[in-house]
Amino acid sequence: MKKNHRFFVGLAGVATVVTYLIWTGVSQTMLYYLTPNELLARVKDDPTFHQVGVKVSGRIVPGSWEEATEHTPHRFYVADLEDEATSFAVEYDDMLPDTFNDHENVDAVVEGRFREDGVFEATLVLTKCGSRYEATPEELAG
Amino acid sequence: MTILGEFALWIALPVGLWGAILGFVGGRKQRGDLVLSAERSVYAVFFLLILASAGIITAFVTDRFEYWYVANYSNRALDMFYKVSGLWAGQRGSLVFWALLLSMFSCIAVFTNRNKNREFMPYVVGVLLSVSSFFLMVLLFGDVNPFERLAFTPADGRGLNPQLQNYWMTIHPPTLYLGFTSFTVPFAFAIAALLTGKLDTRWIAITRGWILLSWFFLANGIIFGMRWAYQELGWGGFWFWDPVENASLLPWLTATAFLHSIQIQENRGMLKVWNMSLVSLTFLLTIFATFLTRSGLIESVHTFAENTKIAMIFLTFLGVVTGICVLLIAWRYPLMKSENQIQSFLSRESAFLFNNLIFLGAAFAIMWGTLFPLITEGLTGQAITVGPPFFNRVNLPIGIALLALTGIGPVIAWRKASRRNLAKNFIWPVVVGTAVVAGLYLQGARQTMALITFGVAAFVVTIITVEFVKGTRARAHIEGEGIPIAFVHLVMRNRRRWGGYIVHLGVVMIFTAFAGAAFDREVTQTLDPGESVSIQSAFGHEYTLTYQGLSSPRGQNMLRQAVALMTVERNGVPVGSLTAEKRLYVTWEAPVTEVGIRSTPFEDLYLILASLEDLGGAFENDASSQRATFEVQVNILVGWIWYGGFILTIGSLIAMWPSKASLTPAPRRAAEERVPAEPVGV
Repeated sequence: MKKNHRFFVGLAGVATVVTYLIWTGVSQTMLYYLTPNELLARVKDDPTFHQVGVKVSGRIVPGSWEEATEHTPHRFYVADLEDEATSFAVEYDDMLPDTFNDHENVDAVVEGRFREDGVFEATLVLTKCGSRYEATPEELAG
Repeated sequence: MTILGEFALWIALPVGLWGAILGFVGGRKQRGDLVLSAERSVYAVFFLLILASAGIITAFVTDRFEYWYVANYSNRALDMFYKVSGLWAGQRGSLVFWALLLSMFSCIAVFTNRNKNREFMPYVVGVLLSVSSFFLMVLLFGDVNPFERLAFTPADGRGLNPQLQNYWMTIHPPTLYLGFTSFTVPFAFAIAALLTGKLDTRWIAITRGWILLSWFFLANGIIFGMRWAYQELGWGGFWFWDPVENASLLPWLTATAFLHSIQIQENRGMLKVWNMSLVSLTFLLTIFATFLTRSGLIESVHTFAENTKIAMIFLTFLGVVTGICVLLIAWRYPLMKSENQIQSFLSRESAFLFNNLIFLGAAFAIMWGTLFPLITEGLTGQAITVGPPFFNRVNLPIGIALLALTGIGPVIAWRKASRRNLAKNFIWPVVVGTAVVAGLYLQGARQTMALITFGVAAFVVTIITVEFVKGTRARAHIEGEGIPIAFVHLVMRNRRRWGGYIVHLGVVMIFTAFAGAAFDREVTQTLDPGESVSIQSAFGHEYTLTYQGLSSPRGQNMLRQAVALMTVERNGVPVGSLTAEKRLYVTWEAPVTEVGIRSTPFEDLYLILASLEDLGGAFENDASSQRATFEVQVNILVGWIWYGGFILTIGSLIAMWPSKASLTPAPRRAAEERVPAEPVGV
């Protein structure tokens, strides 16, 4: 056992380092996954939540998209999937995915920070079409 | 033909189940007749699944849209190539395809081992057929029958998602499936070893080729997926830590760990319990990967559709298999005593153990990050996710450590490395590695992690090169052969060792490519025809792209196409042109972006047509609708991933190639330990 002493120290070292990496990695990069309703409730309770990274999944409000220009970012509204009355503006300054549009019901996931002025500053916008991979028999018939 | 396929699928399940029972009972009661019958069931299931697959393909090729599956993944205009590959384009067909591959490998395993490894066979057959039967049950009772018919026959199908109409996407899933399914064979032998109590290295010696084969397919499957993402997803990246990507990486990580740890068992008779656990874990992770893809449990771009029924079936299976593995290992624990002890911290055993531990650490971290939303939601009711920043943070240091071990492991001495062994092998590589870092630093590179990676990569490459040079020289000297001949003979005499080194070189190349991404640059600009955009490469030269305008040819299967043409100059010298497109497919609502890539050995010029001022006008060839926004990237070393993958393939093939007289200690050990075979029955 004596000879293995250093070896076990090494093993414990690896385990510690991996745990440390996971721990700090999670605490520095984690994002709350919320619905628009939950997000608005959260920031009301706790204004510091404006500083926290969040990921919100909702639906793009039809007709709300203003395309980016040289000086302004893309701007559109995202509404709660279950409660369309709840919505907020999103600003995004990068390429939008091909499936992004504001005339069909497009579900979107936005990642970023909900600013104090009520605008969501997105660092990532993902869209998912409900029908992207498979259709129900009703859709095929139509 | 399609009806026949449907029948075949229904018959395959009872045949598989019956064969599995016969296998286990025949093994237990030493009844050769039962075992023989079980083996024949393996062949029968394979034949039935060929019929089922042929049925699906026929339905695709003959446009039988009354089948739900065909209607969803094909249409009349689709290329024949994609109709045939429709077999694995969607969830339902891919489950049949999975079962087909598994039964194919089962057949090969049974056929090649039926005489020489009789004592294992009953249980091997039992395990293989149990797993096949499980997949057949999912197919028939999980609401995913590919032969399900619609109440009506649509005039045309929905067509295949255009993003999936890509060569790499066509071969990426089958390659991964080949990797996943072939790992069932080593797992089956491991379980057979546990059941029979023959726990020496024989099960490893028998399945070594299978382990390598599976590893090889997994590695290539993952690389093909990267290649598809890079070409088709249109954002210049190749990996984004999506849950399903992670799920395919997990078994690869544990399989790599296993591939190394079995060498310790073969050479030193240690780590028997560990290896049993690793083989079980890897098998479970292959099933977990399918489960994650199919259940829709975690949101992902890859998931087919949410299906809770499938999720429950898979979870139950995973639970049962885990339970069985744990119980069997616990039961046989006394028979798996280690024959040796680790003697020194500085030894190959120790380096391999660290390799294993780090691989498992990486797998654990990735698993943790992937399941984090589920864990946090379960514990606190609030889902918290982690994304690429988490995975990069955690895996960069882990990757660098593994890369270093790639060099250290193969040359450090067994048992206990002397100071001389260390100095002799490591001084020069360390010098070269440091020199590379210093050189790049002087050139102005400041990305710490990338610099460390390049340094470690140079260290490893030096070690491997020195090994090759020393080996070749020694052989040329002793045998009196010319250098090229000596080199070939050297590799051929010990394919596992030298093949392994070549695989390591491929891996180093891939890691170097990952580090190269730290030097990528990109520019986004809106242009009218005639205007230019410039971008400087990290290597110092400058590209200037001049927008020539849009054209809108009409392609097959596509409604409209807007092709932007750019001429490219490198430091003012014309070097050709690039096109980037937006496409609108007949059957697809959303436009699809096609990128333009100009590959050179050290960098790719990557052009994305980000958006068009007036998409509709552009499709109509309207001269006033030409204004477009482009994203131009210079991606450093990205091609090295594909070259590295190629080298890795060559290395794996060399290591896998069956050789009659291998000089590795492993077969010798296995031969020494070999107990006279007790024939089962017959």
